[in-house]
Amino acid sequence: MVITVAHRPKPKEFKDDFWKSKNINISIGDIVETEQREEAPESMGPTPKPNVTDLRSWDMKLLKRYEPFYAPFCDMCCLCTYGKCDLTGGKKGACGIDIEAQQARTVLLACCIGAAAHSAHARHLLEYLIEKKGADFPLDLGMDIDIEAPIIRTVIGKVPKALGDLREAMDYMEEQNLHLLSSCHTGQEGSSVDFESKAFQAGLMDNLGMEIGDIAQIVALNLPKGDPDAPLVELGMGSIDRDKPVVLCIGHNVSPGAGIIDYLEDQDLEDDVEVCGICCAALDITRYNKNAKVVGPISKQLKFVRSGVADVIVVDEQCVRTDILEEAKKNKAAVIATTDKICLGFPDMTEEDSDKIVKQLVNDEVEGVLILDPDKVGEIATRVAMQIAKDREALKLLPDLDEIQEMAKECTECGWCQRVCPNSQPMMDAVIGAAEGDFSEFQRLYENDVCYTCGRCEQECERDLPLMSMLTKVGEHYVKDERYNIRAGRGPVQDVEIRRVGAPLVLGEIPGVVAFVGCTNYPEGGEDVAKMAEEFLERNYIVIASGCGAMTIGEYRDEEGRTLYERYSGDFDAKGLVNVGSCVSNSHIAGACIKIANIFAKKPLEGNFEEIADYILNRVGACGVAWGAYSQKAAAIATGVNRWGIPVVLGPHGSKYRRLFLGRTDKQETWDLNDLRTGKVIEGEPAPEHLLYAAENREEATVIIAKLCLRPSDTSKGRQIKLNHYIDLHKKYFGTLPEDVYKFVRVEKDIPITHKKEVMDMLEEKGWEPRALPQEPSTMNFREKAEGK
Amino acid sequence: MNERVIPWQPTVIAGPKQALLVTPETAQMMLQKAKRPLMIIGPLINSSPVQALATKIAERWNIPIVSTGDAFKSLNEAGISSQSYGVVEIINLLKDPDWKGVNNEGQHDLVVFIGVIYYMGSQGLSTLKHFAPHLKTLTLCKFFHSNADASFPNMKDEEWIKYLEKLAE
Ligand code: SF4
Ligand code: SF4
Ligand code: SF4
Repeated sequence: MVITVAHRPKPKEFKDDFWKSKNINISIGDIVETEQREEAPESMGPTPKPNVTDLRSWDMKLLKRYEPFYAPFCDMCCLCTYGKCDLTGGKKGACGIDIEAQQARTVLLACCIGAAAHSAHARHLLEYLIEKKGADFPLDLGMDIDIEAPIIRTVIGKVPKALGDLREAMDYMEEQNLHLLSSCHTGQEGSSVDFESKAFQAGLMDNLGMEIGDIAQIVALNLPKGDPDAPLVELGMGSIDRDKPVVLCIGHNVSPGAGIIDYLEDQDLEDDVEVCGICCAALDITRYNKNAKVVGPISKQLKFVRSGVADVIVVDEQCVRTDILEEAKKNKAAVIATTDKICLGFPDMTEEDSDKIVKQLVNDEVEGVLILDPDKVGEIATRVAMQIAKDREALKLLPDLDEIQEMAKECTECGWCQRVCPNSQPMMDAVIGAAEGDFSEFQRLYENDVCYTCGRCEQECERDLPLMSMLTKVGEHYVKDERYNIRAGRGPVQDVEIRRVGAPLVLGEIPGVVAFVGCTNYPEGGEDVAKMAEEFLERNYIVIASGCGAMTIGEYRDEEGRTLYERYSGDFDAKGLVNVGSCVSNSHIAGACIKIANIFAKKPLEGNFEEIADYILNRVGACGVAWGAYSQKAAAIATGVNRWGIPVVLGPHGSKYRRLFLGRTDKQETWDLNDLRTGKVIEGEPAPEHLLYAAENREEATVIIAKLCLRPSDTSKGRQIKLNHYIDLHKKYFGTLPEDVYKFVRVEKDIPITHKKEVMDMLEEKGWEPRALPQEPSTMNFREKAEGK
Repeated sequence: MNERVIPWQPTVIAGPKQALLVTPETAQMMLQKAKRPLMIIGPLINSSPVQALATKIAERWNIPIVSTGDAFKSLNEAGISSQSYGVVEIINLLKDPDWKGVNNEGQHDLVVFIGVIYYMGSQGLSTLKHFAPHLKTLTLCKFFHSNADASFPNMKDEEWIKYLEKLAE
């Protein structure tokens, strides 16, 4: 029996170890008795709570096979006052760093920032929810999920049972991130591969932080607990009822949005006010209440704010336009900042009387307010929206089409809007067309977020044309029916689903798990993501979606007007389209792979990172796709899942992350495998061929995704199925049999029947010889074994 | 500053080392000097008359072609043979001084780019600028690429086609 205490006033800080060893948890408040919470694992692996260097040997194995590929984004370094240093032509900086290490350091920095963003978000949520629900609030994910925190179990080595237990993982993560960030200082690490090993650790910490955050919010706010039938919710700019007062939440932290929804429920105002969101805040408020609406991914931000539909804009954290106040002022929308991450220079009114805050906002006496109490945000946002909505109706928000045509005639055809467009989109052509009354190019840019409204072109325009407002108006006028359905984020995958698909996935009979994650920095619009998802759904893959990627997929309809969420079930099974939820829900993607190793293959998790990652790398045919990744968070997520052994494909903008991990098929020795069953080293194959790859277009990406789902553990039946898809897709997009297919044929039985003849011809031409199928392929420790140690 | 040599996307400027602006004549000299040149054709010029012009240049100078993205398909349909690689894969091989080249005859000494997405091409050129001192890069797009060793300037289509035609002569 343990004494735990509901967490009221601030707890006194006690030295962790002492209280832990006594299994006592004390703070000042009401004393309640509960069962012992944390479960001691049956067996502890070698690396519970690994320090920065503890998983280094695993990292080096990965880095030897998938060598870092650097594409410097900048030739110089300007981090300290010795600089700027020019690192071209093999020159080193004044501190001795070379261009490779400098790239790797920048990647590490990005991963630390990403991990910090997710984890600070998680820490904020955790403390807020503990305050609301108590530290002993159980981490109960329902009957169908027993392995509820696979990342925490593996990395921390413990099974958390209550909200308060998550603090230990949080503390550990924060300490690690501090060490990692420290090594970015001038005069620390000098080796690029060691920087990469640290980036892997930062990525792992990111994955851990995401899991803490999502589990905490799922249990404490009662979000869907792995429910494949989570409700369909409304999505799209056109789904927002403009006749009602509208509160828009932008960012990632659910708490202010939840505060708004609670207030509306308490006051019986649910039908009177629209609550909607952009980015992951939108996904999470719809997990909290299905009547909330998703405007769309980050690419909608400037368009929707310019449209003036939102009366009150509530910003929380991450991916919020930093000029949101300036934009909101253009159409007299009120802005409320709600976290320490984004304060926007506003006065802190958290302790102020509500009537006074409402009055000041309504009368424009303040530019905006900072309110750090989510419940209070709920009240203020609602009351202000209800008071200002009527007056704002009279505002003329966007220019009319004939005005746009007149403005467009001002264009000097200087071309700079196109040159500064990060996505090389032809804005000038759109303007020239509009001057003639032809809005089709504007419309094309608007649809599918081909233009993701970054606003760079508008700033550059020498005639000060309001290009974003023009785009928004044309879109509003011509693009009808921006109303879709998306399945609300379901959270983790159930244990029973893992039991069902574990064997077919590891054997290759379900050809793979493809996860579409990340932001909207798409090269040619969002439809590419939906098309890829559709392609793999039709081919029996399990398709996962999260974050902005999940929203983008929902914006695509077939000829009968149905979105992919309406056409495919939410099951984690072949042909299932699983929206796990927001950015922090990405943890469930790695989580599902970890659970396959645990539930299907009976690998113990606690403290056993390397064995689990080795299992995933060699036997779980999963591939992440971050087609529009732009953020540091995305860098951290990808680097983290790479360390778990999951390859990731990025879109072309991903090349700007500076570093990829590419395999070399011409270096056969890097693919050797250790067969754990026989203890023998055997000739392997480039499966998966790369760990982090950037493709130039959808066609290339689709084919490489299919290839990256190959695993050495595939049985011949499974390999036939996977190769069949690889060959089919290659024929579809490249017109021929893939040149390298012979590398993936181990025995004749691996060849798909439909392509037998041509593959056999190729094998003969290449002088192919059959080779052994590994029974338990592994990348762990085979070098030692080979040397007879 | 001469607008023709501000990188097409001005923010790809990476540092003090900038590409040399070349005319078709200088480009010809580079091709003449090269012992094992390689041409990389990207998908931006799929289904464009420029693709045919690029392959004419490859033929004229006897340069093997690597296609990136899905450019293989449209080249193949036009009867042009190429070896297909991801742009990051081919750059990765080109930066290895020990790689034997697409024809197994030794690492290439000049790589000519056309039709790769601008910002991604710029990243690949940066890799080669830093890590492939054994080769030179030349870009034939209508955009100035500051990360190349040598680049055509920013041009309108008409002038660009003339530049390419000269190289194909
Ligand atoms: S950190 Fe090193 S490379 Fe960077 S500016 Fe300082 S001395 Fe130069
Ligand atoms: S707003 Fe659109 S067209 Fe303008 S620069 Fe950004 S992406 Fe390009
Ligand atoms: S920047 Fe302005 S003036 Fe120049 S081409 Fe674009 S729209 Fe026209």
